[in-house]
Amino acid sequence: MSDHASDPKPTVDRRTFLKRVGAAGAGAAIAARLPFPGPAAAQDATVRPDPAAKRGGTLRYAVHNAPAHFDVHQSGTVANIGPQSPMYDTLLRRSPKDGQTIIPDLAQRWEISPDNKKYTFHLRKGVKFHDGADFTADDVKATYDRIKNPPKGVVIPRTPLFATVSDIVVVNPHTIEFRMSEPRPKAYMLGAFASGWNIIVRKKTLDDNQGNLRQVMNYPGTGPFRHVSRKDKEIWIMERNPDYWNKGLPLVDKLEIYHFLPFTPELGAAMLSGRVDYARLLDPVTWRKAKEMPGVTAANFNQSVIQAFWTNTQKNKALADPKVRRAIHLAMDRHTLVEVVKDTAPMQVGGFVYPFHEMSTPRAELEKKLGYQRDIKPAVQEARRLMKEAGYAGGLKNLDFVVRDIPTFKLWAVAIQAMLKEHLNIESNLRVVQTSVWFDEAQAGSFDLAISAIVSTLMDPSDIFSAWYGKDGPQNYSRWTNPVFHDLASQIEREVDDAKRRTMVRKAEDILENDPPLIPVAYEQIYDAWYNKVKGQNPSTFFGIYDVVRWDNVWLG
Amino acid sequence: MRKYLARRAVYAVVTLLGVSLSIFVILRVLPGDPLVAILGVEGHARMTKEDRVRIMADLGLSAPLPVQYARWLRDIGAGQLGKSFFRGDTVAELIAHRGPITAEIAVLALIVSWIVGLPVGILSAFKPNSMPDGVARTLSVLFIAIPGFWLGMLIVLALLFWFGWKSPIIIVHVWQDPWQNLQIVMGPGIVLGLAQGAYIARMSRSCLLEVISEDFVRTARAKGLREGLVVMRHALPNALLPVITISGVLLGFVLGGSVAVETAFGVPGLGRSLVTAVIERDIIVVQNLVLLYAVIFVVVNVLVDLSYAWLDPRIRYS
Repeated sequence: MSDHASDPKPTVDRRTFLKRVGAAGAGAAIAARLPFPGPAAAQDATVRPDPAAKRGGTLRYAVHNAPAHFDVHQSGTVANIGPQSPMYDTLLRRSPKDGQTIIPDLAQRWEISPDNKKYTFHLRKGVKFHDGADFTADDVKATYDRIKNPPKGVVIPRTPLFATVSDIVVVNPHTIEFRMSEPRPKAYMLGAFASGWNIIVRKKTLDDNQGNLRQVMNYPGTGPFRHVSRKDKEIWIMERNPDYWNKGLPLVDKLEIYHFLPFTPELGAAMLSGRVDYARLLDPVTWRKAKEMPGVTAANFNQSVIQAFWTNTQKNKALADPKVRRAIHLAMDRHTLVEVVKDTAPMQVGGFVYPFHEMSTPRAELEKKLGYQRDIKPAVQEARRLMKEAGYAGGLKNLDFVVRDIPTFKLWAVAIQAMLKEHLNIESNLRVVQTSVWFDEAQAGSFDLAISAIVSTLMDPSDIFSAWYGKDGPQNYSRWTNPVFHDLASQIEREVDDAKRRTMVRKAEDILENDPPLIPVAYEQIYDAWYNKVKGQNPSTFFGIYDVVRWDNVWLG
Repeated sequence: MRKYLARRAVYAVVTLLGVSLSIFVILRVLPGDPLVAILGVEGHARMTKEDRVRIMADLGLSAPLPVQYARWLRDIGAGQLGKSFFRGDTVAELIAHRGPITAEIAVLALIVSWIVGLPVGILSAFKPNSMPDGVARTLSVLFIAIPGFWLGMLIVLALLFWFGWKSPIIIVHVWQDPWQNLQIVMGPGIVLGLAQGAYIARMSRSCLLEVISEDFVRTARAKGLREGLVVMRHALPNALLPVITISGVLLGFVLGGSVAVETAFGVPGLGRSLVTAVIERDIIVVQNLVLLYAVIFVVVNVLVDLSYAWLDPRIRYS
């Protein structure tokens, strides 16, 4: 459905189709031979149960610590998505088969106008919230109005994705239009609508709680599972929703979601001892052990996180110089840095755009570039030349290096400190601070160098170009500006032709290489493992852990 | 006696007020923003000043500090103990759910410490400088030196890799399933108990060595009493007072140690809640749990003092 429904040409819905066929006096047989797919194809793309699936049983799933609050829209962590996703639906979703293809969810089908400025969603009928209320377009409008314009005191990280949505119009109870002030690439907008964060919440729920659901534990969704009980920081129990609109799903009767801190031995122990059936965010040591265990499958996949190193361009004159930042960028021995943390967290080398994104420089090509090669001598030589050219041949002294108090960053900080000293004679003083302090310091600009990780909602370069590298980007901790880049990023955001966009993204990468807004250290991977009795889930091709966490198609063998 | 109790009660209240004030001030002075945990990294980065003001007001953190402190004392007085400002769960619920597990661990640790420490101390005292004494002293130093969380992790890993076993991962109370419950509390209880047992062994050894050189013990022996009777009836009761005192102090260590040991064993007790609350900067939970620990410590010390009069007829409180 997604391919066709998102194409403006074949916008023939069932009713129109039947009218046309009737008018032409054609029979049903002719209709069946029509070359373009109608709604039947859309229905086919909806998640369907595996014919071999067995029903029943309890799936015990371990993921992240308990959420800090219950408002999924306001959250940015898997602590919410992990346990709460199974209770909700989105307009569109990523297929659980590959984690990439966008397929229908509460929107049975959709149309995009030829100018890419109007998205029309046709909603499913007969869908009910867990409290028995009917789902209508008003709920979609209330949800997206809130995401686009959060009320005071409500912060929604996905708000910028819908910045160009000018109007959300309810056409009828089961049709809704999103009108945009200017076009955006289809992949970008459909990705935003399919984001696991943008769950559809009942209008009444939002009205009753003044638009803030932070402390509302059990607000009704339309999802495959219903809330049963929760013990804070221990377990969240859900049961099968017998009135789920997608008949035949979900396949398991009960979900038990256990809260564990990621990458901890405790989570690993729960998995290896068989106390849980499926564990997410395992540490590498446990994951390798699980991989060797009979009856267990282990998979790794890409996460929407960059591990980065910021240089404060406003506080420190030397760091404002692109040559110095380029030199620091080149002085990083990235392959060694990945190796340093291999028993703590799984990582991979990458540049300024997700290394696995189709528009980024391919890995083989990237590894030929200075700064990404296994042999770092040429890069260090160039880095020293740049430092000399910038007037800092003698290096820099007493840089305040703020390190987030997490094992990975502490290991890296020591290694980076040594690399900078050895390669460029840059001396820094490590200051390890608790996570919440780190973000305070980063936002206040109280650092020279800082290391941490940041996330994006979409893999699309435009999302990271605005959030990470944008002039006023919320995660542009270096306070970096480059008018040429910002102009190009703005063009990339508007460009709807994929080929042209790819060329522009490569050009943007070149700008970032020479004037780094941050120094990419590595890109995270996620390690999952599960006992083979868990069927229907393999995240190997997934991107991130936020979009495909519904468990509706999973069954126990 | 009543006067003594009243005086101790006044001291206890003053002590607890001091503790409450200290923890209240420390938590407000320490750097760190709870809104990072609430909104997440992305949300925190996008938060405007206006949003911050609104959220802080919602959480009750924008009121002047004396007002916040007074509100907390009022909540304590009403027995509500406030709410975690993240999920809205009350601290009283948290204590009711997790407290029994930590209490069981503490009691088990105390029992283990006495069961292990006292016989070892007696053996060492009555065979000083013998091989059993040497072994006992070496082991007691070892258990004092080894950090509980490290020993806990070793035990968890050994059980996991050799037997593929891990204790239950959610709380099961003793009244729900005693066997499952025992599996949860056994590990931390034994680890904490062994460390405290080492102190008990050393203390009881030194006290007994002092007592057995007293005239009344020599007299008992001269009467021809069996050695066991000499120890149990004459020497031990007189050597127990300092051991009881140290047990009261050790209970405080057990509570403090449970924070790390519960985390190592993955036991969802109050200690682990405290760790998580500190990480999340959930100051309402932290301040109430620390105060609870202080209350327990003060009460235990009063009880220990009162037990002196019961154990030693020479001591009378007036």
